[in-house]
Amino acid sequence: MLRDTLKTLLSAYGPSGNEHAVAETVKSLIAAHVDNMHVDALGNLIVEKYGTEETGKRIMFSAHMDHIGFVVTDIDEKGFLRVHNVGGVSPRISSARHVVFENGVEGVLYCQPVKGEETAMKHLFIDIGAESKEEAGQYVLPGDMAVYAPDCFELGEHRVAAPAMDDRCCCALLCELLMYLDEPRNTVIGVFSTQEEVGLRGAGVAAYSVNPDIGVALDVTAWGDTPETKLPAISLGKGAAVKFMDSSMIASASVRDALLKAAAEAGVPAQREVLPFGGQDGSAIQRARAGVPAGCISIPCRYVHSPAEVIDMRDMEGALKILLQFVENV
Amino acid sequence: MDLKQLCEIHAPSGNEKELRRLLAEEARAALGEENVRTDRMGNLLCSIRGQEAGKPHVCVSAHMDEVGFIVMGATEEGLLRFRPVGGIDPRVIVSKRVLVGEKRLPGVIGAIAIHLQTREDMDRVPDYDHLYIDIGAKNKQEALEQCPPASVACFDAPYTLFGDGFVCAKALDDRVGCYNLLRLMRESYPGDVTLAFVTREEVGLRGSAGAAYALQPEITVNLEGTAANDLGCGETQTQVCAAGAGVAVSFMDNSSIYQRRLYQKMMRLADRNAIAHQVKRGVTAVNDAANYQRAAGGARAITLSVPCRYIHSGASVCCLNDVEAQYALTRAFLQNV
Amino acid sequence: MQTEQFLREVTALPGLSGGEEAVARYIAGAFEPYCDEVRIDALNSVIARIRGRGPKVMLCAHLDEIGMMVAKIEDDGALRMRGIGGVDPRILPGMRVTVHGKERVLGVIGAKAPHLLSPSEREKNYAWDELYIDLGMSAERARETVRVGDCVSLEGGFTELMNGRFATKTADDRSCAAILLRTAELLQRMDTTADLYFVLSSQEEVSGYGAMTAGFGVDPDFCVVLDVTHAKTPGAPELEAFEIDSPTIARGPFIHPYLRQKLEDIAKEQRVAYQCEVVPRDTYTDMDGLETVRGGVPGVLLSLPVRYMHTSVETFDLSALNECARLLAAYCASVSGAWRDELWI
Repeated sequence: MLRDTLKTLLSAYGPSGNEHAVAETVKSLIAAHVDNMHVDALGNLIVEKYGTEETGKRIMFSAHMDHIGFVVTDIDEKGFLRVHNVGGVSPRISSARHVVFENGVEGVLYCQPVKGEETAMKHLFIDIGAESKEEAGQYVLPGDMAVYAPDCFELGEHRVAAPAMDDRCCCALLCELLMYLDEPRNTVIGVFSTQEEVGLRGAGVAAYSVNPDIGVALDVTAWGDTPETKLPAISLGKGAAVKFMDSSMIASASVRDALLKAAAEAGVPAQREVLPFGGQDGSAIQRARAGVPAGCISIPCRYVHSPAEVIDMRDMEGALKILLQFVENV
Repeated sequence: MDLKQLCEIHAPSGNEKELRRLLAEEARAALGEENVRTDRMGNLLCSIRGQEAGKPHVCVSAHMDEVGFIVMGATEEGLLRFRPVGGIDPRVIVSKRVLVGEKRLPGVIGAIAIHLQTREDMDRVPDYDHLYIDIGAKNKQEALEQCPPASVACFDAPYTLFGDGFVCAKALDDRVGCYNLLRLMRESYPGDVTLAFVTREEVGLRGSAGAAYALQPEITVNLEGTAANDLGCGETQTQVCAAGAGVAVSFMDNSSIYQRRLYQKMMRLADRNAIAHQVKRGVTAVNDAANYQRAAGGARAITLSVPCRYIHSGASVCCLNDVEAQYALTRAFLQNV
Repeated sequence: MQTEQFLREVTALPGLSGGEEAVARYIAGAFEPYCDEVRIDALNSVIARIRGRGPKVMLCAHLDEIGMMVAKIEDDGALRMRGIGGVDPRILPGMRVTVHGKERVLGVIGAKAPHLLSPSEREKNYAWDELYIDLGMSAERARETVRVGDCVSLEGGFTELMNGRFATKTADDRSCAAILLRTAELLQRMDTTADLYFVLSSQEEVSGYGAMTAGFGVDPDFCVVLDVTHAKTPGAPELEAFEIDSPTIARGPFIHPYLRQKLEDIAKEQRVAYQCEVVPRDTYTDMDGLETVRGGVPGVLLSLPVRYMHTSVETFDLSALNECARLLAAYCASVSGAWRDELWI
């Protein structure tokens, strides 16, 4: 079930550059359903499901495994850890948060603003309970990364909140897609990509080596349906969104229109997304080699890049139907 | 060539010609004509055939270029208008000497005398629209005849040893890397090694983009000079690395997150061989490793840096022991790959 | 085809970044008579080739243009929009635009009337969220006609000014497309050995992906990028604006010194007047992305000065445009295999 797959994936540790635990989780979920799996030099998990037709296309889907985090840069004399952001972290919403390291060490991330200074990453520190540099050093070293501690809970009948929803919800979607696909005509390549949050780094090299005919990124998008928000014109629960543009990409018309058509044929609603900021793996796929027509299916997600990112499972289920139809149509 | 000679050569980004020629001469003498070539981006690529089969191809890369200045035009009075090539803080160039163009004409960057400044002037940060190079020209025509548009200038700064094994010079970033590549050239290694002297790092990692795609090495060790920020800042949290404390190994900077295993391997190797080393703690700067990591289908890369104080000025400072440690660790890695 | 006629027609076609299909088809048709093969690639770039045995040279100008996309339809039928490429919202109030909905409809860009603004509000420029497109329709009909994601192109118009100067939408960079077309035409009567690829790239205004991906496909030895640069107007910074009546040849770290010297030598030989444009770093043209494709594509940048860039009245000088073509044709004819070997000597 989509919801179970999602919950399994949400608990894996995986800040940018350290996604192997997520990759292992994905592997265990889909190993029986794909023809080929490998991990490349940047940690991308690339899986293939062969198409039945010689003349079939190679369709690449990309969902990123990494999420935002905090890398330790220094341990002070009293055992507090100083950090630098990994990906787009707002220092303002990072205060008094429960964080966890790969080895299970837990900590409290706190932001101590300094009078007269604008709140910045340098005001953040992690308290792991250590009382000295030496003690802290037994558990954590510079270069280790912390993430918001997993904390998944349900809101009402349809909605789920958790850190790392960006982009594990789409990892779950891609896993389910690969499980559901039964002898597709076209070859489907699932890329569980790395380092998206620091600049679409994994998907770029994966797109080069996969060399697809068509690419579709699966990612979350922002919302415009809570108090004081205006754009994008996207609401939770009104269907997955087909991307027209964001700061990183103008979606290729052929892919965008095919996704809209697939939604119509599958009989599920799809929103049209014009995002005035942001970026996703589709951009890295589009510019690969001699150019790849690329688009993006987005799951509307409130409070992105916070410890409580909220999605609506109906949008997820709709997205799965769109993708199944899309693979059939190409 | 020794480090002094290397630092004294002028090679602002896009003008690496003289340095490349001298490096190529030395490389040809060491490795033979057939193992030295210049690629489309002006990178100098030197191959050393491995002694054993089945070892990964490792590239060791350093950039030839340095930050400098480029002439944009001249005022009616004959002062040169200019812009930086690469990132130079205009606050460090006032009251400095430069050498302009192929003829290396002496010039100075002056400022309005403090007596003539208003209160507001004194608070204002100097910017490139209000700074000029004075070569003594009488008028615009003479200035541009001597220094046509796009002439480049470098700091006129000697290479000086001082203190306890420290050196002060221009262009330590990244002649320290070039110097160590020349030293690595004198040996052979188990696996194939390419030593890459690349162009135009300081203007956006340009040269290495071509080298990385053309070579597609399995592992790249990128040799750099990096900002140290270790003195006079009090709090340790803003320190990046410290001059004199060994070669700095990076886990992350603004253009790459390095593969954890490779980072750990470097740290262990340094420990085992008693090579002075430190973690580059600050997440700062961008460098060529990004291109080597992400060209084509992707590869592993690591950056080993010599900590440099006052980087991108005419008086950058590093510790010679750190240069030695960068060499020693790179060599150990190539021997043990 | 007459250059002026081509310009009149090509600047009238919509070709917003990422949606260049129509203008690509038109340009491909225009190159057809002069080229051995013409194709449109996966990202809408036009690639037209005049075959030769010598080095592969890619001549590149972009075919896309800035514009807007509908981002939201308000309850009252007003359209909110966002720029595609570097659109300056200050030029928009009171502009007529074309909204490419189910049908093409005229829209007018509105904002709160100045009478209703407080004095402090009047001091500020309008921001995106304060501007909207008025379709003159009921909200219901607006929603039937237009959807989120539809493109909006700026006001058209092709105006001849005095002294052979023209004001038009999309002189950036269709004027350079005209230079390439004229070059291809001139080359019909000249001997060349180079394998020439005329590339009209997509997406320059947003990402530069068109030139990068076309460059990957072509894999050229060298490139010549053509784009517009700023022509002098009162108040423009002295170092970044040039006389309108002759092209500029760029110098700087992104420009190959040997190939640039060749271009300047040929300009002198052909008596083409040119100006020198020093670019200390990024050129903000297709050069930046194209030059680092594959193992590298060294090249030069030739620019046509244009006034009022990124408005709907971009103004250029037709004789400067023709001189660019004459220079470029002579350059193409001079390319030889020896250049490849002499690049870094």
